[in-house]
Amino acid sequence: MRAINRNLGCCPTCRQLVTFPPKKGGEVAAYCPRCGSEVHLRKSHSLQNTLALVIASIIFYIPANLLPMMHVQTFAGTESDTIMSGVIYFMETGSYLIGSVIFIASILVPVLKILILLYLIHTVRHHKAAKPKERQKLYLLTEVIGRWSMVDVYVVSIMLALVHFGGLTEIRAGGGAVFFLLVVILTMLAAMSFDPRLIWDTAKEQHA
Amino acid sequence: MIEKLYAVHVAALILFLVSNAFPFLTFEVLGNSSQATFSTAIQYLYEEGDYLLAVAVLMTTLVVPFSRIVIFLLLFAPLHHGRVPRFAPHLLKTLEDITPWGMLDVFLVGVLVSIVKLVKMGTIIPGISLWSFAALILILAYGESIFESHPIWERIEKAQHKGQVKTFRRLRS
Repeated sequence: MRAINRNLGCCPTCRQLVTFPPKKGGEVAAYCPRCGSEVHLRKSHSLQNTLALVIASIIFYIPANLLPMMHVQTFAGTESDTIMSGVIYFMETGSYLIGSVIFIASILVPVLKILILLYLIHTVRHHKAAKPKERQKLYLLTEVIGRWSMVDVYVVSIMLALVHFGGLTEIRAGGGAVFFLLVVILTMLAAMSFDPRLIWDTAKEQHA
Repeated sequence: MIEKLYAVHVAALILFLVSNAFPFLTFEVLGNSSQATFSTAIQYLYEEGDYLLAVAVLMTTLVVPFSRIVIFLLLFAPLHHGRVPRFAPHLLKTLEDITPWGMLDVFLVGVLVSIVKLVKMGTIIPGISLWSFAALILILAYGESIFESHPIWERIEKAQHKGQVKTFRRLRS
């Protein structure tokens, strides 16, 4: 038995159980009497929204990696750093810990998030029933790790604040930082718009 | 939980203000020094025309974390004295809505990475604000670990039944 069959929905904010008017279809919305949030039996157009945001973040991920994150201007000239060149720099100079932090936060996490979301959308869309628990865990993982990608944006902004010696030696943010920021925001929004209950819908449908 | 969270966020407010009022880091190369406070980055990003980056850093490291601390205080100060504030549902809902966008802990990692990066180029002098900021992160992490919204929602519901607290329905028709 699922809550949706009894016209019961759970408020996304305060977890209050809300009874829906008896109506067919998954597009019904109600308001939580306790906190006023909109409650859906299932988020409307969850898959389409998530897919759209994931595609947008894939597109933005390309310039995020190709364009420089920052320009370092010294008396010797201007040097530009991309995400990957930063990681390579740390690895070559022996800062393995920092190198791997940047690698995990800026490369592994966004790619992993995009892949997980694509996988979840695929399995729900094709009514795959296998391993709902594992897929639920994957979803929780994307929610938890998403924000950590911001590290690189912060590094650029802190470096820029500290290396500021009036024209002679300066760090400026590159176009890659803006695109990377957009990737982080879009993947966070994508994870939020995915409705994990869909995982369990397809899981149950096949058992019934 | 209420007493502890009240105390945690009073401390957090003080640490947050200290973190913003004093120098964060100073960087010295060949006799030149450049000093940064917590919000210097936002100012430079804005001046350079990187508005999107400036707004994102402003929101995730200043506006959202500060709002969270203030909301916690507005909620927990009355709760501590046995009252449920009239706008409690709005406050708690806002709190839950903005939580994912507060990224002070991520910012701290960014600070550490930047320090390691810059230490090879010159001298880094930590300011008062760096220590208060680290303490702020620790205390907020502790607050986060003991915070449970469920009992608060239950108290709000009881107060709503007595008519002491607003419901959301009138705001969103």
